[in-house]
Amino acid sequence: MAQKNPAKRTSPAGPPQLLWRREGADCLVTNDFGHYAWLKCKDFNLLAAGSLGEKHPKYAELADKGFVRDRLDFEGLAAKWRSKNAYLGTGPGLHILVLTLRCNHKCLYCQSAAAGVGARNADMSVETARKSVDFALQSSNPAITIEFQGGEPLLNWEALKAAVLRARAGAKKAGKQVSLALVSNFSLMTEEKASFLVENEVSVCTSLDGPADLHNRNRLFSGGNSHAATIKWLKYFQERYKHQVPGYRTFKPSALLTVSRYSLGRHKEIIDEYVKHGLEDIFIRPLAPIGYAKKCWGQIGYGAAEFTKFYLASLDYIHKLNRNGTVIREKMAAMMLEKIVNSRDPGYVDARCPCGAAIGQIAYNYNGDLYTCDEGRMVGWEGDDTFRIGNVRADSYRKVMASAATRACVLSSNLESQPDCARCVYKPYCGVCPVYNYEVQGSLWGDMAANDRCGLFKGIFGALFALLKKPGGEAILKKWAGK
Amino acid sequence: MKEEKKEFSLTADPRVYSAEALRLAAFVFSDRAEVCVKPGKGGLAVSFASAAPGFHPGDFMNEALNQQCRLDLAKKNSKAAGMIATKALLSAAGEKKKA
Repeated sequence: MAQKNPAKRTSPAGPPQLLWRREGADCLVTNDFGHYAWLKCKDFNLLAAGSLGEKHPKYAELADKGFVRDRLDFEGLAAKWRSKNAYLGTGPGLHILVLTLRCNHKCLYCQSAAAGVGARNADMSVETARKSVDFALQSSNPAITIEFQGGEPLLNWEALKAAVLRARAGAKKAGKQVSLALVSNFSLMTEEKASFLVENEVSVCTSLDGPADLHNRNRLFSGGNSHAATIKWLKYFQERYKHQVPGYRTFKPSALLTVSRYSLGRHKEIIDEYVKHGLEDIFIRPLAPIGYAKKCWGQIGYGAAEFTKFYLASLDYIHKLNRNGTVIREKMAAMMLEKIVNSRDPGYVDARCPCGAAIGQIAYNYNGDLYTCDEGRMVGWEGDDTFRIGNVRADSYRKVMASAATRACVLSSNLESQPDCARCVYKPYCGVCPVYNYEVQGSLWGDMAANDRCGLFKGIFGALFALLKKPGGEAILKKWAGK
Repeated sequence: MKEEKKEFSLTADPRVYSAEALRLAAFVFSDRAEVCVKPGKGGLAVSFASAAPGFHPGDFMNEALNQQCRLDLAKKNSKAAGMIATKALLSAAGEKKKA
């Protein structure tokens, strides 16, 4: 058979996929493989036109990173994509057991619809707790985390104990790596409970919103001083961590910060409080208008611009402390950097494509009802079961994974189908939340152009990439990733 | 005292908005107004009745534009989007990879 003449290119080949954003005289470019580069606008124009020649000083870097069509290393780039999106090959890794709706705090921003300590029919039974653990062990993920939450989970100690013992016994049988975690305000912790948790390798996490006046203003506790109880038991678990014993691993305790309106402008005091109490990680979490927080949003809420300003100032201060030798890193930044710098999945279900609703995490309500996530459970508490995916007693694992709500969340959080996200420079690292979209904008898809959560994430990514651009900033931030 | 409910109407340019996009937007706004979409002179006639306080037709049209952009994008990206969604759902359900 006669060979056809090979087609000749008559014009320069443009770049392959290119996501970009102008920042003054510079341009940030990214691609789906997770690579990024900063270019001067004039060099970006050359790249976009396919006119960036081999002799250009940026050519080698851009070719290496998959921005030059004629130099694509398909196998290498595909491997990078697979690594960054490894979660697509497994099922839910995070299983949140809401052991009780009862709580002895009344936090201003509480999204968990906590009920009072005396509330009835608000606890997970021991039987349901065991069934929930059995269900979680059916996940197609070889490594799972079971996280005990509430309300205040220590108020249902019997169910907590039963679930921990069931998980430890079941893990071996199921051949799974099982991590256990408790999220508690610590006010009901005792030596006996602490020892049980430590000896069964349950890591502990609490909330610390800053110095005592700020923490106690956010986290109302009629039984005493919330801040004092938090610090007391943080120190206890830190001591236990320092004195490891053979037979079981003791984990470092961790703390979460929830930023309310009262936190704005006080970033230095908050970060100093974390450093003062020996915490090496601070997770600066924005508030979302879901659940109880929605009702008092006018009092405690803020917009994307205000949070971004707070986050930028916090990151700057943490960076300064790092340069002076203090060990402290911002957890959200660390997780994003794991993707940006190392092209690895950090396991953060809130920022991935598709989002982790049901396929990455499941929330088990006190009555056995299953939801796409904790936020979806809170929408359910308000009387809307859009995000309910089944019941631990009535439904099989496969039925839950194939439920209408599961599929709807997967489809609506696919960034390839989101008009703004599909061409956003931060798309390789970001994710949308169908629950947030539904609660705030009235549809699972939302409208990113007017979406405050989108604005918030753009602010965070903007801050990170700006810091990565600085020579000193890059070195410090790269250490945070993969720690 | 009864809250005043308002009525509005406009014509959507068929070169920009498809009937499907308008219907999708109508569903999103179903808790804020009764929306009717039908062919009209010069385009698609959209009428709003029993509009809740604070409702503005501009917000509806923004949502219609959002939906139209999504439909347009789906024409280009549906294959890639479908592969990702299928992979995610099958993996979560524990489907083993075919040899």
